[in-house]
Amino acid sequence: MTDGKTYGKTYGSFAKGAGRGKDKDKDKAYLHWLYSNLGMGSHRLFSLLRSLAPPAQLYALARQRKLVPYFEQRYRGQKMPYLDKYRSKIHCLEQKAGEGDAAGEYEKMLARGIHFTVTGDTDYPEKLAQIPDAPGALYYVGRLPDADKKTIAVIGARNCTEYGKAVAKEFAAALAQADIQVISGMARGIDGIAQQAAIRAGGYSLAVFGCGVDICYPPENRSLYEELIASGGVCSEYPPGIEPRSVLFPPRNRIISGLCDGVLVIEAKERSGTLITVDMALEQGREVYAVPGRITDPLSRGCNELIRQGAGLAASPQELTGMAVGERRKNASESDDMRGRILKLLDYQPQPVEEIKQKYDAAYGTPESPSVSISLLYYELVGLCADGEAAQIGGSYVKKG
Amino acid sequence: MLSTITSGTIYGIKSCLIQVEVDVSQGLPCFQIVGLPGSEVREARERVKVALRNVGVSLPSVCINVNLSPADIPKSGTMFDLPVAVGIMTALSKLPQEATRDTLLLGELGLSGEVKSVRGVLPIVREAALGGIRRCILPMDNAWEGGLVTGVESIGVSDLKETIQRLTGTNNKTSVIICRDSAPAGTVAGPGRTPEDGKPSGQTAAEKERPDRTPEDFADICGQESAKRAAEVAAAGFHNLLLVGAPGSGKTMLARRIPGILPPLSAEESLEVSSIYSISGLLQSAECLKTQRPFLNPHHTITGKALVGGGRIPMPGVISLAHRGVLFLDELPEFKKETLDILRQPLEDRQVQIARSTGTYVYPADFMLVGAMNPCPCGYYPDMNRCRCTPYEIRRYLRRVSGPILDRMDICVEVQPVLFADIVAERSVESSAVIRERVMRARQIQADRFAGTGICFNADMNAADVERFCSLGAAERKFMAKIYAAMQLSARGCHRVLKVARTIADLAGTERIGEEHLAEAVCYRNMEVFK
Repeated sequence: MTDGKTYGKTYGSFAKGAGRGKDKDKDKAYLHWLYSNLGMGSHRLFSLLRSLAPPAQLYALARQRKLVPYFEQRYRGQKMPYLDKYRSKIHCLEQKAGEGDAAGEYEKMLARGIHFTVTGDTDYPEKLAQIPDAPGALYYVGRLPDADKKTIAVIGARNCTEYGKAVAKEFAAALAQADIQVISGMARGIDGIAQQAAIRAGGYSLAVFGCGVDICYPPENRSLYEELIASGGVCSEYPPGIEPRSVLFPPRNRIISGLCDGVLVIEAKERSGTLITVDMALEQGREVYAVPGRITDPLSRGCNELIRQGAGLAASPQELTGMAVGERRKNASESDDMRGRILKLLDYQPQPVEEIKQKYDAAYGTPESPSVSISLLYYELVGLCADGEAAQIGGSYVKKG
Repeated sequence: MLSTITSGTIYGIKSCLIQVEVDVSQGLPCFQIVGLPGSEVREARERVKVALRNVGVSLPSVCINVNLSPADIPKSGTMFDLPVAVGIMTALSKLPQEATRDTLLLGELGLSGEVKSVRGVLPIVREAALGGIRRCILPMDNAWEGGLVTGVESIGVSDLKETIQRLTGTNNKTSVIICRDSAPAGTVAGPGRTPEDGKPSGQTAAEKERPDRTPEDFADICGQESAKRAAEVAAAGFHNLLLVGAPGSGKTMLARRIPGILPPLSAEESLEVSSIYSISGLLQSAECLKTQRPFLNPHHTITGKALVGGGRIPMPGVISLAHRGVLFLDELPEFKKETLDILRQPLEDRQVQIARSTGTYVYPADFMLVGAMNPCPCGYYPDMNRCRCTPYEIRRYLRRVSGPILDRMDICVEVQPVLFADIVAERSVESSAVIRERVMRARQIQADRFAGTGICFNADMNAADVERFCSLGAAERKFMAKIYAAMQLSARGCHRVLKVARTIADLAGTERIGEEHLAEAVCYRNMEVFK
């Protein structure tokens, strides 16, 4: 549980013999120094500086406090609207250049298993490079998605319903089985559940963070985080050690949509962060699919609205995978004993015992025994829970997907 | 000359007899009281002096020494005014020594000589009866309390003059009271019985007509079968109960009716409860002895001191007033964490110890804790389509109730808003009396089972007792193992399920705990599901 202030512990090391090539990394070390010290929102300046001189020379100039004049001289006469801002940022950079050991810190980061990639590198995702405001660099642990395979982002509400959970699991598992890579934000709710299901089904999944990759946020997804590092990946445009803050999350949504071919929305309210991602995906020319829901459910309104606007209607995973992946799970017991009857009455919407009793009495009550005893109902419900057909949430029961 | 008068005081929940020794001698005129008197006891000097003068007894210029023996018990309260006044008169030979033999006196004096009511009369008279006292002179307003104790003649007086007349035998008006049953001294007239003769005269007819009624009955509650059933199980095993539900779903209504399905107070329990109320000055003459189980419903702004008892000489707190009854904490998460945590020890020990400079006081606190709370700040969780709370808000809300308190809640049940179909249904609803019958039968089974073990109810069982009394058959063991894995129970949660299952089996009247009993018990631990 979070207490609102501290967000999970900072991870020490992910290294499993992290590879390092000394000379090749020299330039990367200075780029990492440059990127991490420029601060957030400096992608434009980062690329300007990169085109100015080789990284090592930039570092040397900064140490000698000659980077500002060098920069001004190089871009003199050119139209540069943010020149003052750039100047002060480079000035800060010069001051930081004196402290610490850029190469040593990069070594340490690599030793922890955190990789660093900049635009133009072979491991920098191609799809991401094409979006208008692509991040200048990415930090990642594990591996980045395979460019040859289809990639789909599965996103949705954090406080989702049982219906959303069941659908997210079903779709993500089906995508994984069809060898489609699943990308999401590892948030509570749909994001985390979908990624969990993809990993469990033996697929690949990548989480894009709004904080440093060495910080597990939200902390309750710790086990998923570890599974992702082991068999998928975690990436972020923010340097390691950056704590999660609300302002950092919306920008990461463009990376989620930028990395994928299509976006699948499971559950979303009318105005939500999920729809921000969808907007970005549309700007980037990605396909958008939405899972329809009941018109009365606020959590399905966003999805239904997307479908109205022309998003693809995802009624089954096969529509995305383009292939049949097993059969849709049947209601396990079709039998007409009491357990089977109760299972039929259960829904993805949590129902209190009273309501189930009411429905049962209405459907199966006879003049001899107009109502079922609550003890007997409990007995059958617990049996269903133990078999994994249903789940108890507080005093209510839901069908499990 | 020396005189000795018997009086009494309360000391925590205990009461003891005090000998008021008064010595009047020649010397410099003075009036002093020794024997650890509290300030209200010390002020008796002024009241007694003026009251005596106003009934026509003027004090000569003598040295008056009063000792309250045993002198090492701290004394508080105003009940010593009357014995000190009578003691002085006896020492001055205005009353014969024999007049006060075997007589207990209690009462506060007004300046005009009137005798006013005091706290703690019932336990003191009971102590007196056990100590061989045969006659008690009590304030008129409290005389009926004394009348509840058998074997003692309790006489109510309204002023000092009447007291003197009573003692000298010049007034034998039968204004009051006697309970001279053949029952042994010190026992109390049964709770079912209203000691008509034991009440002060001038009582209204309406008060006399008050029978043993249940103004709040389970028959008033439509539907809500699961919550009612949970309340029945909780009452049968004296399990603590947590009611979770949206505002207005009827949690308070249900909780108020729980005392009505608990077995009636036994004579012994009734006296115990009444004594606590007497000490707190809360025993109303109209209700006589406490025959209804107490139901205490403190507001969530209550302080820790008010809850467990406080003061220089501590007064019983709300949890002691709820002894043998129900302590209902509505809006549980709104209580201050520190306040709730104070309950941990009393819930375990069934009594509360309060240490003060004057000594350590122990008050009984054997109550059934019933808590009520919403599932989330807005009240609609887990219906995510209606709930407006973020997961973080929900967890923060639930976390306000500390784990140790939740751990002591054997039964959690969700109270659903009443369905319209239930309101209009023409089904007969069980009354409290019917449910109480079943509860009493289950209690009898427990009493027989635990005879000689020091345990009273299933809720009191510890781990070893659970092992001994809640053994499962092979099939049930297998069923439990399956649930344990599927529902991710903890070891502690498993014990709780077994204890509750024991009670459910007792209610069903079977010795063997069956699968259906286990299943029902599992459903009552839904608070863990929330967490």
